[in-house]
This record gives sequence, C-alpha cells and structure tokens, in this order.
Amino acid sequence: MSVIELREVVKRYEVGSETVEALKGVDFYANRGEMVAVIGPSGSGKSTMLNMMGLLDTPTEGQVLHRGQDVSDLTEDELTEERRTGIGFVFQEFHLLPTLTAVENVELPSMWDTTVDRHDRAVELLKRVGLGERLEHNSTQLSGGQRQRVAIARALINEPHIVLADEPTGNLDRETGRAILEEFTRLKDEEDVAIVAVTHDNQLRDYADRAVSLIDGRIQ
Amino acid sequence: MARRGILWRLPSWMMAWRNFKRNRVRSALAALGIVIGVIAIASLGMVGAAIQYSTTENLGSLTNQVTVTPGQDNPNGGLSETTVRDLEQIAVDESVVPQKSSRTVLTGNGNETRVTVTGVTRASALYSAIEGDLPDRLRSGALVGSAVADDIGLDVGDPVVFDGASYRIRGIVEAEGFGGPGGGGRTLVLPVSALPNQQDYSTVTVVAEDGAGAEAFADRAEATLNSRRDVVSVTTNEDILENIQTFTSTLNIALLGIGSISLIVASVAILNIMLMSTIERRGEIGVLRAVGIRRREVLLMILSEAALLGLVGGGFGALVSLGIGLGINELLFGEPMLVFTWNSARYLVYGFGFGFGASLVSGLYPAWKAANDPPVEALRG
Repeated sequence: MSVIELREVVKRYEVGSETVEALKGVDFYANRGEMVAVIGPSGSGKSTMLNMMGLLDTPTEGQVLHRGQDVSDLTEDELTEERRTGIGFVFQEFHLLPTLTAVENVELPSMWDTTVDRHDRAVELLKRVGLGERLEHNSTQLSGGQRQRVAIARALINEPHIVLADEPTGNLDRETGRAILEEFTRLKDEEDVAIVAVTHDNQLRDYADRAVSLIDGRIQ
Repeated sequence: MARRGILWRLPSWMMAWRNFKRNRVRSALAALGIVIGVIAIASLGMVGAAIQYSTTENLGSLTNQVTVTPGQDNPNGGLSETTVRDLEQIAVDESVVPQKSSRTVLTGNGNETRVTVTGVTRASALYSAIEGDLPDRLRSGALVGSAVADDIGLDVGDPVVFDGASYRIRGIVEAEGFGGPGGGGRTLVLPVSALPNQQDYSTVTVVAEDGAGAEAFADRAEATLNSRRDVVSVTTNEDILENIQTFTSTLNIALLGIGSISLIVASVAILNIMLMSTIERRGEIGVLRAVGIRRREVLLMILSEAALLGLVGGGFGALVSLGIGLGINELLFGEPMLVFTWNSARYLVYGFGFGFGASLVSGLYPAWKAANDPPVEALRG
C-alpha cells in the first residue's frame, strides 16, 4: 500500500477576478523506502502539490490519502496531529528557529508532547547526519549544508511515514546539495520512509528511485 | 548527555523566554511601559492610602466624643444634675464632662473679640495645653483658646474679667479634634463656679476610648434616658467621619483612574509590539504549524510572551513602587513601615495584578491571530 496517494487532485485559486488552476487532475503515489522526485519548472504547481501531500492545503477536487485513509474529512486539529506524527518537512530555506540550538530544533515537533522525550533520538539523528559535534550550536552558527542536515533530522524525529522536501538543494552549492541527497537516499532505507522531493533540479533524477515530471499542473 | 531542563516541561514558557531574550531592547521597552503603569497605579494608590491614614489619625479624637444636649421634650431647657448622674451611671470607662456655657466679649491689644465661655471642671478631657498648665480639675483661674490669646495678646499669668470677677490665665489651650466645645480656639474656659446663675448644664461631652465606644455609649444613653420622651439629644461625629471617608475614597478612585490611563497606554504599546513581533515571525509560526504544533500551543506560546512581559514589568513596577511607598510614609509620618499595612500594600498587589492582566489582554489578539493563520500562508512569510 502506498503511504501517500493523490487521486485526480485539482486545485483552483481565485486570484482577483481570475481563476487559476494550479493542479489539473494529478495522480500520484509513493511507497515506504522509496525516493520520488517531482521535477518541473517554476509555476508548474510543484509547491501546491507538496502542500496537498503535506496536509497544509486542501484540494478543490479529488482525494488525498495517507496510509490509505482519505484525509478530506479531518478537522484542522486532526490534520495538525497527522502532520506531527506522520509527515516530515524539509524546506528550501531550512526554516530553523534561530532561538533554538541544533538539537532543540530537531526536538521541536515533539516539544509540546509531554508523553515522549525525543531528546535521545534527536541526538542520535544529528550524529547520523554528521553533526554530533554541533548539538548545542545555534542555528545561526551553522553553514547552509549543516542547517539542511538539522532540518532533515527534524523531519525524521517523530518517525514519519513520509518526508516532503521542497527544493531541498535549492539554497546549497552543487557539492553540498549532492551530499544532502546522499543523506536522503541513506536515511530512506534506514528509516523506511517515503521521500518525495519537488524540485526543478535535474540532479535529483540521479538519486531518486523514480522521477515524474510536473508541467503546467499535469503529471507528464 | 544533556537532558531536557525543567523548562522543557513548560515549552510555551521556554519559547517565550527565548523570544524575550532575542530582542532584549524591544522586550525591555515593552516591559518598561508596564513598569510605569504599575508605578502610577501603585504609587497613587499608596498616596491615597496615606491621605486616608492621616485623616483617620487626626480625626480619631473627634470621633470618640459623644455630645449630649437637651432634647425636644426637656422640661428645663438644660441638662439637670440628675441627668448628668444618669449619664455617669451609664458610663463604663467613658469620661462624662458636663459643661455650662455663655458668651462674652474680651478686649485687649486694642481689639475686641467675642468668645464662648465654657464652664467645666474636667477641662483636661476636652482640651490640650499649648502653653502653661492644664489642671485635671479646674477649680480656679482660666484657660483661653489659642486664637483668642493671639487676637488680644493674652499670655499665661494675665488676668481676664468675666461677670465682674477676675481670673488669672493658667494655660493657652486648643480643643481636642476640630470643632469640639467652644469652637476650636475661640473659647474662654472657666471653673463651673464662674457661672452660678445657670442651674443646668448646656452640654455634656462624653469621651470614649474610640469611635465604636462612642457609638455604644450613644445607644445606651438613648435607650435609658429617652425611653419615653426626648429628654436628651445624643450626637456622635460618625456622620462627619463618614463624609470625610467618602471623600477620601473618591479621591482615591480618582487617583487610581489617573494611574490606569498610563497602564492603558502601556497595554496598547504591548499590543503593538506583540503584533509586530508575530508578523515578523510569521514564517517561523508557519513552520511550527507545519511540523505539527497545534493552534492551541501556538496561542499559549504567544500568550506566555505577553505574560512574561507582564511578570517582568509588573514585578519591577511593584518593587519600585514599594520604594516610593517607603519614601512617602517616611516623609509624611516618619514611619516607612506603614507601607506594609494591607491598606497601603494592597495597591502594590493591585498594581502588579492590573499590569499583568493588561499584558495578557494585549497578547490575546496577536496570539489568536498567529494561531489561526493558515500554515500555507504563514510559510510564505
């Protein structure tokens, strides 16, 4: 069973008096232990598609299924809970909190959950991405590549079934980008997680198990 | 291995504290507004309390007196020896001071002045001496009020003439409390024997331990003497005291009102600062929501920041106000520790409470706004 599935997903926005159709009936799926690249130029609807998969936005038509369950009837709080326990996010701009140390940033998604203490896992994840010496560093003291590694560790902290990456190499030089992608391919097996990366960077094809092209709101 | 500190059990407070430290100048300025507001409320409240305290202190000697005068149905238009004896029997610890009164004109220093003449034996219960001597029982000589003495240039040892007889002045006096028998300083106090033509007493003043004692005595006198007819009229100064207390309370409310304005200004400043700070951090809050932090938790986090500003501002404000209160009480009464009486200290508690409350209220809208921002929108920054 696919951990994530989009069925005939359509997304329309009202921009002024105009209606923009960002996604025009997208079918998509990803399985555990698989890295899928969604490649397309800017404006092709990549981010919209990622927001649908990440439960940050709802489709106008069609269905989004997480672990086989349709999420369209979930309340805002249930969606939040699903994001916290089942989905990891990696953003182009890293989006670490500057007031927190590296290890605190990794713990962030579980911070308000008093029933679990993820500190040990946060430390272990940071060691696995090569930041064992940088645990207490503030995020502003880290390089771009290091920040993205912290973000990857944060995405994995709650043992999600899927990690969604939005242009994960977009703000990194080519070599650092390659290192990050190698990290992804290693972790998808270790953590048995589906990784979906949306990008315009063709380099990702070399690392992905599967690549699909999104052009003008349609999977080609 | 580093473990989570105690603060991690209170994540909202931990995050709020980090954000407080993130822009110290801004946080400090926001808290300063609350500090000033709390100082305004607490200090003005304590000034009011000091005014109340000083009026009660000064009026204490007025309120413990009961004045007994002839009632409507009194047959002789005066208080007889029998009535005085009845009053003495009702009295437990109270001093019963019967007085006769008359009027005369005194001359001296080229001035002429009208004075009240009070014939009384236990003068010491009603007056206090400024100069000279004030005997427990006035059998000979005279006492004169300070205002009269000033007007016509009388001094201890000088003679005064009343009703053809001459009396040597033994002391310059002032009435206890204000008003009192003989209208403050415009009185000539003589032994009762100086007014032999008056059979009855015009007034009996009863001096009790305190205001409550005076009230109790008045009730007993009414019940005993006026059971059938209005033989005597019994008045206490409770009404006057009540009026004065109402005035000081009104004054206090006005002072607190002025203080509250500065607190309102401070809370608007906090609202503004919190709103700006949440707008600046919109992207961060979007990340929090994206990684699964609930709306309620974001709300709590921002409210904690407002609460922290209120705690810091209110705490500092209360401390500074305490210092001001110590100063006020030292200056006015020479007793700085009076600030710790509940009447005064409660304004520190109120000031802190209002400061804290105002911050919290100011945080509500920014917190609600941040918590309900759709994560997709917020992530765009």
